[in-house]
Amino acid sequence: MSNDQELTGAEIVLEALKDQEVDTIFGYPGGAVLPIYDALFGQNFLKHVLVRQEGGAVHAAEGYARSSGKVGVLLVTSGPGVTNVVTGLTDALMDSIPLVCFSGQVPSHLIGTDAFQECDTTGITRPCTKHNYLVKDVNKLPEIIHEAFEIARSGRPGPVLIDIPKDVQFAKSVYKKKSEVTFKSHRIKSGSKNIDRDFIENLINHIKKSHKPIFYVGGGCLNSGPSASHELMKLVQLTNIPITTTLHGLGCYPAEDKNSLGMLGMHGTYEANLSMNQCDLMVNIGARFDDRVTGRLDAFSPDSIKFHFDIDKSSINKNVKVDYHTNTDITISLKAINEYIESNQVEFDTNQYSTWWSQINEWRDKNCLHYEQIDETIKPQHAISRLYELTNQKDTFVTTEVGQHQMWAAQYYKFAKPNRWITSGGLGTMGFGMPAAIGAQMANPDALVIDIAGEASFLMNIQEIATAVQYKLPIKIFILNNEYMGMVRQWQELLHGSRYSESYVDALPDFKKLAESFNAVGVRAKKLSELDDAINEMVSVDRPVIADIWVDKKENCFPMIPSGAAHSEMLLSKYDKENPENQEKGKVLV
Amino acid sequence: MSTSSVYPTPINTFKQSKRSVLSVIVDNEPGILARIVGLFSGRGYNIEALNVTVVDIKNNLSRITIETLGEEKVIEQIIAQLEKLVPVHSATNLANLKESYEAEICLVKIEFENDDQDHKILSFADIYRTRTVQKRQNLVVYEISGTSERINKFLDDLNTISGIKVEKVRSGPIGLGI
Ligand SMILES: Cc1ncc(C[n+]2csc(CCOP(=O)(O)OP(=O)(O)O)c2C)c(N)n1
Ligand SMILES: [Mg+2]
Repeated sequence: MSNDQELTGAEIVLEALKDQEVDTIFGYPGGAVLPIYDALFGQNFLKHVLVRQEGGAVHAAEGYARSSGKVGVLLVTSGPGVTNVVTGLTDALMDSIPLVCFSGQVPSHLIGTDAFQECDTTGITRPCTKHNYLVKDVNKLPEIIHEAFEIARSGRPGPVLIDIPKDVQFAKSVYKKKSEVTFKSHRIKSGSKNIDRDFIENLINHIKKSHKPIFYVGGGCLNSGPSASHELMKLVQLTNIPITTTLHGLGCYPAEDKNSLGMLGMHGTYEANLSMNQCDLMVNIGARFDDRVTGRLDAFSPDSIKFHFDIDKSSINKNVKVDYHTNTDITISLKAINEYIESNQVEFDTNQYSTWWSQINEWRDKNCLHYEQIDETIKPQHAISRLYELTNQKDTFVTTEVGQHQMWAAQYYKFAKPNRWITSGGLGTMGFGMPAAIGAQMANPDALVIDIAGEASFLMNIQEIATAVQYKLPIKIFILNNEYMGMVRQWQELLHGSRYSESYVDALPDFKKLAESFNAVGVRAKKLSELDDAINEMVSVDRPVIADIWVDKKENCFPMIPSGAAHSEMLLSKYDKENPENQEKGKVLV
Repeated sequence: MSTSSVYPTPINTFKQSKRSVLSVIVDNEPGILARIVGLFSGRGYNIEALNVTVVDIKNNLSRITIETLGEEKVIEQIIAQLEKLVPVHSATNLANLKESYEAEICLVKIEFENDDQDHKILSFADIYRTRTVQKRQNLVVYEISGTSERINKFLDDLNTISGIKVEKVRSGPIGLGI
């Protein structure tokens, strides 16, 4: 494209996307984005995925971003188009997922007149984006788009929205290439790139002194890129320190490795939570001391020295006061630590943690994830275990909805690599998983992509099955059908005297027929003897599949640290009763 | 402080709430003020006073001064959150600087009825070295500047005079590190 040629705003959008190496965009048309849709017509560098509701586009973009490490891109119209993406933008902000959302806006001269499909887009999305823009001048458009991408992926990633009035999409200007734009450093906030010597030396000294250390690893490690996991693995092997991950950290470290204690937090393992509670040195790598992880704050790991790696300064000392912190990118920091260990020939005494490890092994012996598959009724935990066993040889990506099935997936599906596990953590958005699977499959056409779903969540974005069918995306929706909003039912059982108010999912569709009506494939397992066949059929069919797995309706998800309780007050099974005082306090929390 | 925020202030649960004056340098662009007040209301922080003006036309910079209440940990968190906003260059708690100066300006309109009141008003005005902006029969308008505390004191003193009507407007504190 010669530089002095004028393009319309709509053409500039496409040119910038090409420049940013975007190959996929999720969207839904409408009056205020027609010029951009016109520019899309007939071009072939960019695949447009037409979703069935804008909420699907944003979750698909999230799934795309999480599974590829790239920025997810979406395009929606003004008014209802953009209000439909508010949930997903909030979800991406909470879970630090890089997105760029383009929205159409009514023509500039109509802004403020309550025009048809006008809404205050930048106002509505200001608190749920990392940054947003209303483009008033087409000459600024190229720079804004490039800055938006840079902001979305730098530092702590997040969603950025660009609102473009229709007249600006028609107006002409000269395109400015990405390479011609200089970013202002204060606007990008990319986090420190410098190695923090003191921090590293302090850390190594503390590791050498410690008797009960633990690594506590979160989604920040994932966002730093696959090399962060690689360096982390090295460091764990050099030091022999146990490691636990948050919900988003799953996959940053191989779950089946001997040093892995599994996930921590509300539904984390006994060994992970007790180790966190009793450690003398906690090394937090890219996690944010979320309330689902800490439980009651005054009882959270009272006797440990705490190190915190987080690129986001506002995460430091927000919930938990730490002793040492660094805002340097995790890959850079971990690499520097490993290099320091090597070049200074730091020796770790392998016996130093032997008492700690035997303590941990005692906790492990509790076998907190044990369940009994007794009769023909499928236990949900067993369904996930079988799914794992029958799919772990393949290159598999797992997305989830929100509820018990999500926690069972986190507990029983063992991830070996980063970016394979895509779930809505911070916001807990039901309806996330299926569109996210569509996005993940777009980014990884040859992989096996499974949405582990609950029947209630699945119904929230069920329309997207048509998207999967249209684009021949062979995603698998694996429904743990318990006919309940199981997680709600569990809380009602534990905290509200088993008064199951409005948590039964009545009038469910026949998921098999539903699949068929969409031209997808339906499979079903009603009892244990049908389970493996259903899974195998689901995996082998090269089309979108809905697998309706009937599971035990009354099963609860354990271990559980009730809201407001301490790590040491974990419930391991339905026979454990909660301390009634905590129950009253916990009730007011979420 | 007697003035209160334009935003509904959540019930004050801060343990050792301290008054802090934050100085924030921002790109002067549409929506920046909304971003800042939205951050405060969304996260339940207090705004006691707020002042915004362009200070560098060439580089298109504004300085925003915010008076807030909160314990130290909360103030630290507010600063970290402010610095995350894209158009924000820096956010500084003036109290953390070695040396900083504060000033506020206030206009006071006083309506009175008799010489006795006039006399008392005049003597306070004299003590506080206010500037007379306007004086008519039964009405006087003063301008007073200085620290917020100084202005508070002047207003408190005026309050001791019974029967007069006082209307005031305050800029909120501004401050500068040296
Ligand atoms: C959009 C949305 N609305 C409500 C909730 C609250 N919520 C959390 S889990 C849950 C039940 C989910 O039921 P289902 O999808 O069947 O999963 P299950 O717990 O039964 O495995 C609900 C209603 C939520 N997380 N998201
Ligand atoms: Mg359910």
